Amino acid sequence: MSAHRPRILVIDDEPQIHRFLGPALDAAGYEPVRADTAAEGLREIARKAPDAVVLDLGLPDLDGKQALTKARAFYDGPIVILSARDRETEKIDALDLGADDYVEKPFGVGELLARLRVALRHRIRDQGAPPVVVAGDLTIDLVKRLVTRAADPIRLSPREYDLLAQLVQGAGKVVTHKQLLTAVWGPAHEHDVQYLRVFVGQLRQKIEPDPSAPALILTEPSVGYRWMG
Amino acid sequence: MNADEPCERDFPTAAPDRAAGAETPIRVRERILVLVGADRTAATLVRVGQQLSAAMMNAPWTVAHVARPDANPVSAAAAQALQDAFKLAEQLGGSTVTLASDDLRACALDYARRSDMTQIVVGRGRGPRFPYRHRLDRTLLDASPAATVHIVAGDPAAPRPARGPSRRSPRGLSWRGHLGALGVVGAAAGVAWIVDRYVESADLAMVFMLSVLVSGLAFGLWPAVTAAAAAAFIYNFFFLLPRLTIYIAHPADVLTFAVFFAVAMTTGWLTGRVRDQARIAARSASAIAAVLSATRRLSASATASEAAKALAEQLAAATNGRAVVLTPRGHDLEISAADPPLEVLAADDMAAALLAWDMGEPAGSGTDAPPAARWTFRPLQGVKLRAGVVGVAPSAVATEDGERFVAALLDQGAVALERAELAADAADAEALRRTDTLRSALLNSVSHDLRTPLSTVLGSATTLIDYGKSLSPKVRDDLLLSIREEAERLNRYVGDLLDMTRLEGGALVTRREWTDARDVLRAAVARVKRRLDGRRIKWDFPDQVTMVMADASLLEQALVNILENAVAYSPDGTTIEVAAYEDRRNVVISIEDQGRGIPTVELERVFEKFRRMDEATDRGKGTGLGLAISKGFVEAMGGRIAAASPIDDGRGTRILISLPKERATPEGWL
Repeated sequence: MSAHRPRILVIDDEPQIHRFLGPALDAAGYEPVRADTAAEGLREIARKAPDAVVLDLGLPDLDGKQALTKARAFYDGPIVILSARDRETEKIDALDLGADDYVEKPFGVGELLARLRVALRHRIRDQGAPPVVVAGDLTIDLVKRLVTRAADPIRLSPREYDLLAQLVQGAGKVVTHKQLLTAVWGPAHEHDVQYLRVFVGQLRQKIEPDPSAPALILTEPSVGYRWMG
Repeated sequence: MNADEPCERDFPTAAPDRAAGAETPIRVRERILVLVGADRTAATLVRVGQQLSAAMMNAPWTVAHVARPDANPVSAAAAQALQDAFKLAEQLGGSTVTLASDDLRACALDYARRSDMTQIVVGRGRGPRFPYRHRLDRTLLDASPAATVHIVAGDPAAPRPARGPSRRSPRGLSWRGHLGALGVVGAAAGVAWIVDRYVESADLAMVFMLSVLVSGLAFGLWPAVTAAAAAAFIYNFFFLLPRLTIYIAHPADVLTFAVFFAVAMTTGWLTGRVRDQARIAARSASAIAAVLSATRRLSASATASEAAKALAEQLAAATNGRAVVLTPRGHDLEISAADPPLEVLAADDMAAALLAWDMGEPAGSGTDAPPAARWTFRPLQGVKLRAGVVGVAPSAVATEDGERFVAALLDQGAVALERAELAADAADAEALRRTDTLRSALLNSVSHDLRTPLSTVLGSATTLIDYGKSLSPKVRDDLLLSIREEAERLNRYVGDLLDMTRLEGGALVTRREWTDARDVLRAAVARVKRRLDGRRIKWDFPDQVTMVMADASLLEQALVNILENAVAYSPDGTTIEVAAYEDRRNVVISIEDQGRGIPTVELERVFEKFRRMDEATDRGKGTGLGLAISKGFVEAMGGRIAAASPIDDGRGTRILISLPKERATPEGWL
């Protein structure tokens, strides 16, 4: 059994976090691995090849972003960031540097585990990205560039489609403003967050069952958007 | 400081306290004037002045020296003695002033009256060699109805100052000069008589010519003319044929006499010019010294009001009148300093002051507008801004030198005021910056230190809710325990923040009552007992400890903070020693751990806010406020707190709290 339990490495300097996260991960069917410093965490990533990493940004020995860059050099599994609200910019930078998701402290264990599940699922799906995404009665064919609702085609402008495709391919993980703008409008527009507001609004009007209460495209305030389909 | 200055110029160099009063000076307290000369007795007189001041409830005292521009500069030793005396006076808290006048008595009396002096200390005259001083004490006694005069015998061991050849009054100089000239001519006549006896047909006119020349160089114009007349008469009467008559046989001899007078005039005039130039040089040297001295005084002013006060005093002294310094407050000008003290200006004068302020040009009396003003106001133009306006009462003597000095004073004063104001602004900005730093540090601390325990509480609670059933009872208990621990930690943080806010906000109320330090210590230890883990407490109490007046709850919190710190920074299994003892004045509480100690450089700063050592062993990580709060509380109770480290073999920290014993022990405790 243990061979099949996904191994989760938790890198946090607070012993109290390990104290509850260890039993919680264990109870949820994961194999927790503990690391108290960035150096120790990087060593554990190399040695134990965890299925996912939970990384606290406020580590004593290394800046969170540096730790992430170093980890990404030899590890491409999901990395979920733990951060406090006062480290917002650091959190966005971390997402841009390749973190998959983030959870703000203080957090409920359920929330963290849900994010971990999404990240793990995304990685599995990544290996053979499905050409057609289905969300309710909405179908998005990424090969034919076709969006239909209950077999009726939805007319999207090329930009709207590109934006949707980016979000859908993120599949549950946060896609930052910068990532979306760079991919859809090009690197020169990476700060033009107002484009996103307009185009996401239009997209919601066309694809959300209830555009006033979006369920497919969720806003992560001042960070980015998340596809929940 | 050079001494020779005209009387209309004097320059105080340290500020005496002045009582505020109406436009006419009101005598509120004693003011002491010490008159010193340039000699070794000056220091003695300064000390007498200081003692007098001390005896009169630290009455303001001023040491004044009247320098006489007509005299040659005093010898270097004398000038040094005077300067030393001035320095001594400033060290002892007195003001110093150099006045300049040929008329010592009038100048001193005038200054004493103007500055409202009630006590005058003067050295006793010492015979005919010091005629001016000999007269000074008598004159002061006669002419100072308002002041008490103290005459001090000079230090008999002090050597008299060397007297230069020209330390004479101009009047004395003239009759002595004439006598001297006659003496020189007499000597020439003697030489001529001897030459005449032994040398045939020598040109004796040359000998007399020499005497006229010497007289002119030594004594100036008029003695030289006297010498020429005497030489002409003696030469004609005794040496020219026919002898013993004033009959001149050869017309050529008339030319000889004319040459005598021409030489007398020329050399006398030249000598006079040299003297004038020397005097001018001395004057400008002392003017520079005066400006430098004023600058020193102005730049020593730390605050704008001190600078204004210094400027007002200097100006009042320099113009021999009254001076006021006005600085802007909002849209108005207000009196910042005045000498003599002054509370309000007449409406016309205020209008003139505002005009000078607005226009940046002189206004008031002596200028075009406004006509009714009695003061003359001039703007104080600093490097960047107008610093204020100074007013001078019109009794000022407008000599050219005086004008220049006043102008220099205004420049220096403006810069000094400006500098003081900039310094005050900088200090304000610094204070603001520090407050900001504190705030952001506090915010960071709150953000991190409050969120971490919250994370644990929330995480453990949600783990229990979601997976409680599948957890082993041991793990469940541990999670519940961690929830309690972290909730308590959170409570301590909040408590710390509240305590700090109370301390910083000045809202701390101490309720002091008779307290047994041992009881408070026991209560504090009980509160941290559960967090001790493997650490042992060792008690070291005497049977009796004097009660102290203290706020038991504040003291307990202070001790709890120290104990928590000791727990946080010492490993399990070590001992924390808690002791109380007393000396003659204090009850001392000592808390000592066996942790790794504090580096000496950090020792002074452990009581600062947000000061945290790296690597607390664990869970004891605090807000960094604990010891700062302990210090605040202990000091609020009148006690002191100190840290010592290392205690032995490079380890351990000891915190000492000493609480003063009350003098009177209540009867109940005896």
